[in-house]
This record gives sequence, C-alpha cells and structure tokens, in this order.
Amino acid sequence: MTQRLQFRTQAVDRPTGQRRVLRVLAIVGVCLLWVAPLYAADRPAPRFTAEIQPLLKRHCVKCHGPAKQEAQLNLSTASGVIRGGMNGAVLVPHDVGNSLLWKRVADDEMPPESPLSEDEKALLKNWIAAGAPGLPSRDKVAGAVAGKDHWAFQPLQAVAVPAVRDKSRLANEIDDFLQSELERQGLSLAPAADRATLIRRVSFDLTGLPPTVAEIETFVNDPAPNAYSRMVDRYLASPHYGERWGKYWLDAAGYADSNGYFNADSDRPLAYRYRDWVVRALNSDKPFDQFVRGQIAGDEMAGFTPGNSASAEVIGLLEATHYLRNSQDGTGESDGNPDEVRVDRYTVIEGTIQNMMNSLLGLTIQCAKCHDHKFEPITQRDYYQLQAVLAPVYNLQNWVKPQERFVYASLPGEFEAWDSQVKTLDAAITREKQRLYDWARQHRPHGTVVLADDFDAADLRLDERWSNTAPGDNTPAGSPPANIGSSQAPGVYVAGGVLKVQAADGQSEGWVSTKQKIDWTPAEIGGVIQVTFDLTAVRLNDADPPAERVGYYLALHDFQNDSPVAGGNLLIDGNPKAATTVYLDYPGGGSKSAGEVGGTGYQAGRNYGIRITHVKQGRYQLEHLVDFLPDGKSLTLAEADLPDGGFGIAVYAKRNFAVDNLVIERFEGQSESGTALTQFRKNYDVEKQALDGVQKQRAALSDRPGKIAWASDLSDTAPDVFVLERGDYAKPAAKVEPEGLAVLSDAGHPFQIRPVGETRKTTGRRLAFAHWITAPDSTAAALLARVQVNRVWHRHFGTGIVAPVDNLGISGALPSHPELLEWLAWNFAARSASAETGTVPWSLKQLHRVILNSAAYRQSSRTDEVAFQKDPDNRLLWRYPVRRLDAEAIRDALLAVSGDLNPQVGGPFAATKRLDTGEVVPADPNGSGRRRSLYLQQRRTQVTSLLAVFDAPTIVFNSPQRPVSTMPLQTLALLNSEFVVERARNFARRLESAADADPARVRLAWLSAWNREPESHELTAALEFLEGQAAEHATDNSPRESAWADLCQMLLAANEFLYVE
Amino acid sequence: MCDHDSIYRGVSRRAFLSHYAGSLGPLALTYLLADKIARADAGAKGLHALLPESGRAKAVICLFQHGGPSQMDLFDYKPALTKWNGKPYPGGSLETHFDKQAGNVLGSPYRFQKYGNCGMEMSELLPQTGSIADDITLVRSMLTESVDHEAALRLIHTGKFLAGMPAMASWVVYALGSENANLPAYVVLSDPGGLPVDGDKNWSSGFLSPIYQGTPFRASGAPVLNLATPSGVSAGTRGRQLELLREFNRRHLERHPENSELAARLANVETAARMQLAVPDVVDLSQETEATRDMYGLNRPESREYGTRCLLARRLIEKGVRFVQLFLKGQPWDTHNKNAETLKGLCAMSDQPSAALVKDLKQRGLLESTIVLWTGEFGRLPISQGTDGRDHNRRGFSLWLAGGGFKSGYVHGATDEFGYESVEKVVTVHDLHATLLTALGLDHRRLTYPHDGRDASLTDADVTKAQVVRELLA
Repeated sequence: MTQRLQFRTQAVDRPTGQRRVLRVLAIVGVCLLWVAPLYAADRPAPRFTAEIQPLLKRHCVKCHGPAKQEAQLNLSTASGVIRGGMNGAVLVPHDVGNSLLWKRVADDEMPPESPLSEDEKALLKNWIAAGAPGLPSRDKVAGAVAGKDHWAFQPLQAVAVPAVRDKSRLANEIDDFLQSELERQGLSLAPAADRATLIRRVSFDLTGLPPTVAEIETFVNDPAPNAYSRMVDRYLASPHYGERWGKYWLDAAGYADSNGYFNADSDRPLAYRYRDWVVRALNSDKPFDQFVRGQIAGDEMAGFTPGNSASAEVIGLLEATHYLRNSQDGTGESDGNPDEVRVDRYTVIEGTIQNMMNSLLGLTIQCAKCHDHKFEPITQRDYYQLQAVLAPVYNLQNWVKPQERFVYASLPGEFEAWDSQVKTLDAAITREKQRLYDWARQHRPHGTVVLADDFDAADLRLDERWSNTAPGDNTPAGSPPANIGSSQAPGVYVAGGVLKVQAADGQSEGWVSTKQKIDWTPAEIGGVIQVTFDLTAVRLNDADPPAERVGYYLALHDFQNDSPVAGGNLLIDGNPKAATTVYLDYPGGGSKSAGEVGGTGYQAGRNYGIRITHVKQGRYQLEHLVDFLPDGKSLTLAEADLPDGGFGIAVYAKRNFAVDNLVIERFEGQSESGTALTQFRKNYDVEKQALDGVQKQRAALSDRPGKIAWASDLSDTAPDVFVLERGDYAKPAAKVEPEGLAVLSDAGHPFQIRPVGETRKTTGRRLAFAHWITAPDSTAAALLARVQVNRVWHRHFGTGIVAPVDNLGISGALPSHPELLEWLAWNFAARSASAETGTVPWSLKQLHRVILNSAAYRQSSRTDEVAFQKDPDNRLLWRYPVRRLDAEAIRDALLAVSGDLNPQVGGPFAATKRLDTGEVVPADPNGSGRRRSLYLQQRRTQVTSLLAVFDAPTIVFNSPQRPVSTMPLQTLALLNSEFVVERARNFARRLESAADADPARVRLAWLSAWNREPESHELTAALEFLEGQAAEHATDNSPRESAWADLCQMLLAANEFLYVE
Repeated sequence: MCDHDSIYRGVSRRAFLSHYAGSLGPLALTYLLADKIARADAGAKGLHALLPESGRAKAVICLFQHGGPSQMDLFDYKPALTKWNGKPYPGGSLETHFDKQAGNVLGSPYRFQKYGNCGMEMSELLPQTGSIADDITLVRSMLTESVDHEAALRLIHTGKFLAGMPAMASWVVYALGSENANLPAYVVLSDPGGLPVDGDKNWSSGFLSPIYQGTPFRASGAPVLNLATPSGVSAGTRGRQLELLREFNRRHLERHPENSELAARLANVETAARMQLAVPDVVDLSQETEATRDMYGLNRPESREYGTRCLLARRLIEKGVRFVQLFLKGQPWDTHNKNAETLKGLCAMSDQPSAALVKDLKQRGLLESTIVLWTGEFGRLPISQGTDGRDHNRRGFSLWLAGGGFKSGYVHGATDEFGYESVEKVVTVHDLHATLLTALGLDHRRLTYPHDGRDASLTDADVTKAQVVRELLA
C-alpha cells in the first residue's frame, strides 16, 4: 500500500513534518485494520462501513437502533454492534456459528417481516467469518458515552491513500480513493472531458455564470501544460466566486431579507451587510475557522466600543454576527397574550440554534428541545446548554425587537464627515427658513382685519376678549373649564408678550374662544377669510415634553351640541410631524374626522393658520397655511359646516404651547388685496428656492453611516437558563450553564469562557463556543470540517459523499467514500500551515483547487453501459454527472447571455413585488431587477416566481440542499414568460451587433449559450430554421430579427443550456 | 389507479419508474423523478403507505374558512349563552387571545333549527347547508393548539407548529400522484380579491419537493402562470420553434440515453403544450348549464365569486385533480367586532355554493369518491370581545365533512354548556389528518418522508398521538 498521506507535492522529510509523519504512521496502523483487514479468503472481506453498516441500517436499525433499542440492542453504530444487547454479544468474530446475529438472520427469524436476501446473508456471513473487521475492540467500548463512536464524532485522522491497479488516470489523491472503489466493481474513471465542456463546468461551478466567448477561446487555445489549473485559478480569483459560494453558505445559514414568522413578513433592510460580508470573506479566502468564529462572536472578538469609529476588519466582525439573526423573528410584530409573546421569542432562539447546529455541524437538534434526542446522542440538557450560549443575546426577560438590534460603527472620519455635512445643511436650513419667514412677514399682503391680538398690551385684560364659552353660549367648555388670565392649569395667560396655554395633566378637553363672533363664509365667490398666528413655543418649561398636538377651533358656536346649527366647532388638530386632522362636530353625532390638511408639522418659530376661500356656490376650500402660504392637502366644506362663531384655542391635557400675533383678516376675491395674494405667492416661490435647494441636499444625504444589524450580548450578566420540562415554556426545571455538545466534547479542548476585554460588556459565552467549535484537533472541529468538506463536494459533484448533506449524525446516511471524506477533511482542517507548499489551514479555495484538479472532476459525462448497470446512481463517480443548473444560475445565465446582467456588486437588496396575477418579479425590472439573483430580495413569503419554479426554496429555516424538480411549469416559463422572451430578443440583438454574417452569428450564439462550437449539422439546421422562420414572420417589420429571437429563445430553453456536463 | 404497493415491493426503483412511465404519463413520471436526492439515500416511503383495503375517497375539496368561524352562531347551539347573555361568564377562566378586551357572555342572536331527516341542528344563517344535513358529518368537538392565527393555520394545514412544513394536500399528492397528466395534482383556488393570511405558505410543500405544492389558478387572464403563448406568436412560428427545441433536446438526450430526467424534460415540452389546452378548457364555465350556475349562486352578487370557485372545484375534480383547496382573502371569519353582522354576510356568500357543491357532486356520482371539508383554523369564544365581537378559541370549534366514505347525517362530539371547550369525543387536528388520510386509503403512520434525520409524517403520531376517528367513517 502506498502511503501518500499528504499532497504529492509536499516534502515530508523536514524536522517538523517528521514528527507528524510518525504520528500519522501510528494512526495508519489502526487504519490498516479498518480499511483492509487481514483476510485470507479468496475474495476481499466485506467492509463494515461500506457494506455491513448499510445492510444493518436497512434491515435492523428500525427496531434495534437509537430510537427503539429492542432487546437493548443498538446496531446503528460500530460500538453498538460489538456491545450487543440484553442477550449478550451478538457476534463472535471468526465464529459464524456462535454469532447470535448470524443465527437469527440465517433462520429468517430476523428481520421478522422481510428476511435478508441470499446475497446479503452471504455478505454478513463472510464478514463475521473474516473476523468482523472494522469494529472497535470490546474493552474500548465499555463505559463510553453512547453514540460517541459514530464515525463523524471522531477527531480527524490522517488516512492512508489506498492502492490502485490502474494509475493511468490519477491526477491526485482524490482519484486514488475513487479509483480503488471503482476497481472493486471492475470499473474505472472516465476519460477527461474536452476543454469546452471543462470551462463551462468550472465557470458555472465557481461563479454561477457561463464563461464568456473570450474566456472559452483563451482556454481552448492555451498551449500551456497547466492551462486547466490556470483556468481554475482565474475563476477562483473572480469576484463572482464569492457571490456563487456566498449564496450556498447563506442558504445553509438560513439567510433572508425578511423577518418571516407572521403574515407581515417585515423587511430586514440591513441584512445585506451580512450577505456582503460573506461574499467578501469567501473572495478573500478567509480561513473557514475564522469565518465561523466571526459569525458566532465577531462582536466579542472585535474589541469595539459602540460610539467609536472602527476599522474595516472590525466592522466586518460586527456585520458577521448577523449570522445569529437569520432565524425567523416575529417579535417586532408580536401582539398576542403573554404566553404567545413568549412563544414568539423562544421561536427566535430555537430557530437560531437549529440554523447553527445544522449549518456548522450537520446535526438536527430540535428534537432535544422536549426530550433527549431519540436518534442522536444529544440530550435535552445539551440543547439548553446551547440556549445558555445565546441567552445573553436573546434575553427572554429583556427582549429587544429585531428592528432595534443594531449598532453604529463606521470607518474613522466617515461619521464625522457625514455629521459635519448634516450640521452645515441643518444650519443653512434654519437660516433660510428664518430669512423666508422674515421676508414673508414683511411682504405678505394684508387684508381687512377682522380680529387681531398681539398679546402685548401691559394692562391686558384677557377676559375682556377671551372666554371659556362660545359666543352666545352659557356653558363653559372643559371639565374643569380653562381659567382665563391665570397660570392655574388648565388656563391661558399672557406672559412675555405671548399667550401661554397651560393644560392640566389629567383630562381637560376644553378651550378658550374669542368673544367676538366671526363670519367664516365670505359671501362672494373668491372671497377669503384667514386666521394666522405665530407658534412661539411647543412647551412652557424646558423639562416638558413637546405638545402632542397644537389644536385650535374655527366656528365655535355651541359646546353642548344642542344647537339647531348643523356644523361648526371645527377642530384643527395640528400634528407636530405630519398632516393635520380636521374634526367636524355635529350636534348629537359626535366628532367626526373631515379629513386632513397640510403636511408640514407644527414646530415652534413658524406661522400657522387656516384659509377659507369661497370657491363655488356653497363650497368652501379649507387650506392649511404655513408662513402665510398654502401647505399640502386641502379640504372642501359646505356652508353648513361653517356657521358663524368664535376662534378658539384648545386647552387639552399635556399640550402646552404659546402663540402670538393672532390675526383674522378678510380678502375680497377680485379686490386689490386678492391680486396681491396671488402676486405674493409668486414672489414667495422665488424667495423659497434657496431653502428648497438646501432641503434637497439634506434629503439626498444618506442616513447616518455605519448602521449594522448585529447580534451582541445585552449585558455582561447572563440570564438564568433552565431545562424546560418536556419543552414546556412554563415549566423550567434544572438550571444549566453554557457548554458545547457532550458527544463532541474532548478533554483536551474544553468549552472555556475567558474575559472578553474591557471594551464591551459581554459574557464571552459565544466567544467560548466559537473557540470550542473550531479548536485545532478537537472533535467538534473535526465534525465542522467534515460537514463543510462534504458540502463543498456536494456542490462540485451534485451529490455529497454523505448524500443528504444536512445530516452527518447517526441518523444520517453513511458516506459513500468514508476514507476520502476523512482525507479531505484532514487536509482541510488538520494540516499545519506551510509556507513552502502554500498550505493554509481551513482554506476553501485550496479545497476547491484539489477537487477541481482531480481527474474525477475532469472526467467526461460519457455513458458506459456496464458501469450504468452496476452503479446507476453514479455513487462511485465513474463519470462526471450531468447536472441541471440551479434557479439562480439559470436566471443569471439568461441575463449574462443576453448581455443584460447588471454587474453591481453588493448593497441593499433589489426589491421584488407581487403582481395582481400572483407573480413575483423584481420591482425595477430594467434596473436593479437585472442584478444577479443573489441580490434580489430574499423575502420569505415572496420568492421570485422564476426562481421558485426552478426549485429556489422559501427560506423558513436553513436550506443546505434543494430538490431538483422537472415539471411542465418550467417549460412554460422558458417558452412563454416575458422575462425569457425579452432575454432572447436582447441576445439576438447582441449577436447582430457582434457579427455580420449568419454563420458567424450562429457560431457566436452556440458559444454564448452552450459554450461550444456548433457542429456542422447544427449550423445547417439553424440556418434552415432562420430561413423558414423569417418566412413565417413575413408580415413583421423585420422578419429576420424575429427569426433570430426565436432561435435564441430555443437555445435558452434547451436542455443543453439548463444542464452542465 | 394501480396498486402502488404490489408493484413497488421487491423491484428496483428504476424498474418501477419505467413501468410507471407508461401507465401514468410524463407528469407522474416527473413527479417521481423529482425526489431523487432524498429518495436515493433514505428511501422515501410515500408509496408504501397504501392501506390494504383502499379508502373510498380519491380526491379532496377543502373549503377553507380563514379566521375562525363562530361555532356557537353557526353549528353549535348553546341556550346557556342566551340565558347568561350580558352577564359575567360563570365558567371560570377562559383562554383568550386579546386578554384585555374580554367581556361578558355573548348570546347568539340567531335561531337554530333542526334540518334533514337526521335532525341536525344548525343556525338559520345556514339554510342551504341545512339542506345537505343528511349528507354530511358535523364535528362539534374540534381541538387545536394555538389561539394565534398563523400557528393555528400551520397546525391545521401541516400538522405542525413550525412554519415551512408540507401542507396536508402536498402529502396526499406525494402519496397518490395525479390522475390527469395535463393538470396540476393540487390546485389552489385563491380569492381573486387577495391572498389569505399566511399567503402561499398555506399551500407550500415544505420539505417535500416543490412539485407537490399547490398550483394557484388565477382568477383572470391565463389561470396558470406563463400558460398563454405570448401575444403576437403565431401557431406557425411557435410550432417551428418547438420542433427545433425537440430536436435540440433529442440530440442532447442521445448523448445521455439513460438519463430519465432529460427524457422527462423532453416529454415536458409535450405536456406543457397539452396543459395549454387542458387548463383553459377546465376553467371554461360556459360549458355549464344555467341551472347549474344558478344552483351555485352565480346569479346572486353576494355568492357569485365564491360560487364560481366551488363550481370550478367540481370541474377540476371531474378531470382527475387530486386536491382542490379554496381560500378566502385575508381572514374574513375573524369576527373580533360586529360578529353577528359579519356572519350574516359571510353566510350569504358561502352557504349556498358550499351546499351546491355537495349536491352537485352527489348527483354526478362523484361524492362517493370525493371528500368535501369545510373548516377554519379554530373557533370563537362564548364571551364578547369589546361589545359585539368574539375572540379566538382553540379549545372548541366545529367543521363539516361530506362524501369520500364519511358518514352522512351524523353529528360527532360536543362542547361544554357554553360552547367553549370540546368535552365529548374530542377530535384534534392530528386526528382529523389521520382520518382524512385513512379515508383516502393511506396509512398515516407509513406515509413518511425522510427529513431532518427522521421519517417525518403529516401526523407524527408518536408525538401527537394522532388517532383515526373510525366513528366518522361509514
């Protein structure tokens, strides 16, 4: 057996390497037993992991597995088999006759319903006869934690590369492992694929986009012996690599741009910063262990104090923590009873744990919420210990809603630059407002004064002109009614030349009114009456909160609602921040909203008011005035709504403010003053331009920079976390402390909380977890590496070495090539760094490079009748599988080939919308809607229809793997959707401008869409099609163009476009 | 239908597929192919789930009543409510959704009467449902697990609290496939006015393949997305295009002759073309007589839209669609205020068409093989919310079933004196699922799919203790 333990290129005779080699050799001794036991019979002994374990899993584990353990027998793990059950050992190595397992099976006693086939029996018998190789020794098993011996729960081991007979096709160690398995079946790796096939395969694999024609031509014509690996390196260096592989990680991590859970499915406008961080991290080949640590505890690693500026690296670490926020989170919308709110909160933590355990360790854990996991060696205690890791972030008693979990961190100077711009502009706005106000006051036309009060006279007797009853009414408003001329609340009084409104704290829905009765309905069409006043303050004491409303009345005539008059008592309920509501008071009918006016909020220092214009017979327009000019929305009222009555000021609870310079005046429609008003408005618009300019600049200024939706501990003291009895939120039982999973624990790598540092008040629990799960040579890191390596393999070959990639636990499938998986994982995570070979631990790009440079990856997809009969599912990889592109690659390729792809990288999501037809499409189809699918809003309840039809998932939890469906709706989308039809049209236009003659265009079309030269019969067929199709389109404006678009569409709808060989 | 089980047992999956490719047509084939990943290694078991003695039902129509219909105003007569009307509820504490708005006992203003030979008691709001009393099973003792709409919807549709699980209908089509290759197996007739609460999550296939998810038929334009050939494309140009596409795909397939997925995709070009004819045909209501249209309430403005969809449901079932589900916009039965008034309008909309559907299926001989299920996600409380509303109630609600082997003229279970809590012969949503699957000839314990490291099922009977309610079945 050759013992190429590391990459062929690596020298092993260096002193540091030597120690490692010795260790490795020692392990190999064990491995030899494991993979190739001494067995003298004429055929090789059946192997436990590859043959016996699947057999047991198929037939026995349902009853004798972790869930039921009938007869206390668990045949799901190697140690379970050796341990035996209540009837003692089930097998005696080398002694078939005395092995209970064999006896039961031989008699067809077991399995009770469907006995083993003769072949299976022979397999089992041979294995026992060969000494039951592949099992641990019996004394090792005694007393171990149940399930601890599962293959995936072991520390990484260096694996010997197996011997193969035919070495002609081998490119690197991956091929040795695959070829040795193939040879067992009398098969072999397929010959290499041609270059055009390879570049299409590599380009889609690494970037999710088709190769360009130039890229194809460069590679196909590259005479260098390492042309292939150079091509691979070019795509690995492409910024699109991070977009492609970032999306895979985001799916595994459960990323979405919305909160989910409730019907509202509100947006996550800042999640994109995490998405972009992932893309950048992959592009820069951030070692995977660091990548993981940042996502779990970036904030604790960053040494960042909120309020300070930060480096790009630190900002990245804060962005990375959004990983812990990918779960659904409806707590921003929770509105149920306290029990339901608690459920909503727990759901966030539970979803986060599920995302973490599955994306990192390929384990399903949620069963352990209510009881010890039946299928995995995960206890309920384990589950709540993990909750304790997250509890300082997701504190149930001190909950923070998702929209409030953010921090500001920006690059040095970034905030200051923004802040100084804001301050400059705000000052300019204030200045311009004041200038405009002064100008308006000076230049405004004056009408005939009906009533004026400047509250300036020293001997002012307020009660001569103001009253708490309406003109002609005896009953005062309010309970208690407002005091006139008294600061006793509720009351109004004059001080400093202004009228102060001092409301009571409690209910005091009263007002004060002018004693003068005013005619609010000018007789003439075009006649105007207006009331204006300066709002000098919206609080009377600095300590007071600002008034919630600034209210005043028109047409006050009767408080008791027993007047024969229909309308009046018109409340203008001035809103500080939005449009102002107008309420009409109908006798007996209560107060009803008549609608809204204005739009500018009530702020101290401006002039406000209402203008009533008689617009046509019996109709009166009500306009809101700000600085004497109409503002925003207006209303139209009937004459009956505006009876004669007083002007009033509302004295409402907690609404203190001050007014001055109250003027009510009248303008006649066609009079001089009416014209003056028109002229004033024109001049005002000119004067206002300067203000408009700075306001526009202010609006254009982005929001405060550096807002990051992060996850961080709320304080450095953690809330208590308890095991919940049967998962019942109302039944806390034993208190637990944070800890890693027991089954992955190893003495050398404990879960250990260390001080995080002075800068931040956090508990350090997540940092401890991050180190626990990535600690070199630890059991946890071994599983982390296996899961990730398997996932990468799955993306390159369409099927994982463990096929369902989301489960490497006991209940998961067994690896098709256990030694290969181990070798890949060991090389990924356990090899030490080497400057000489450029080896970096946890380098994903290195992992891609090894896989893509294998002969296995470079095989053709050719058919082989014999191999197909023996291995129809191609689990042994006797050829490269033919694979359909996923939804994102299909859409992105359509855009790329048609020349429409918007190359913008990163930034906020491109919004999508749901049309009336139910179809979900990008909101801006020709702009952001042409960006890569990664950037389309990943709204949980609104998956873009074209992506959904090609199996893009609705993200609820994470989605490490998708099914591939084949259904007529996909064909319909390719034939009839506007999106595809438009792509075809633009593809045809692109070809038209790129080449003159039809044959040259056909060649370019084939190279663009299918990434290969057309064969001669294809060229002929295409030209014939164009000819005939142009004839069909004879009545079109340009039959030739239509024919080309039709050809292009079929190229894009064809299987050759959708599949990669 | 062939007997899946006998074919499947003892033969390879591939042989099974090739057998089926001939008998069920390309759509069924693609249904089966789509699951490759999960099936390859874990052995999906949808096809093992047939019961030895087949159920009578082959299809289901679910008339889903979003919001929680008020059982005590519709199906569950409670004189005590009238007696205690306006007085504090005498029965102890109630589980509410909106804690602070709980009021006094609220009697129903509607009279109840006995309908049919069986004497089933129902509200005067439901005279037409009353007229089918002898054809339905009324369950008055339902129980669910949440007073939150979304969670209760997930429970009744998927059997799970967690979001993202497969809908009951997805399980059914996963097990039974389609009988018409040219129509989707699971059709959703959503309200043209808008999506129901929880939107398309209501008909998601969750972790089952997307081919088992509901296909919404749109109310206007082409019923299925991208069904219509783009305007301006003539039959001639499209025909030549398809010819070219076939040729492309045929040559591609020649390079991989054993690839059944590529073969299925080639066949899909034909299936898609047939769908383009079959779907517009099935939604063409002009083929119905005036009498039928009238029967479904198409001549009354208040029931026209809902009636149209009920009629459409029958047409789809006739053509071999497995599962049809009607949804309402938003959650109209969520009567937090003006309960009595709102119910009147809702019954005017749905009473006649729902009953007409049962009558029509019966007269066409389809009721034997079609289950009609009328239900919401929970019920309502015996006390008022505010002055005239009713809050959510998970502990007691009513639903009815017709056809497909369910009893006729039968009332099952009872709530307490006030209609608050189911106390007799309580039926959980899981029991309902188990019973529905049984009626379809499926073993709810064996209809599983590998997910999350275990064999997941609709009922998860080990955890939920779901039981088949034999008494509901004739």
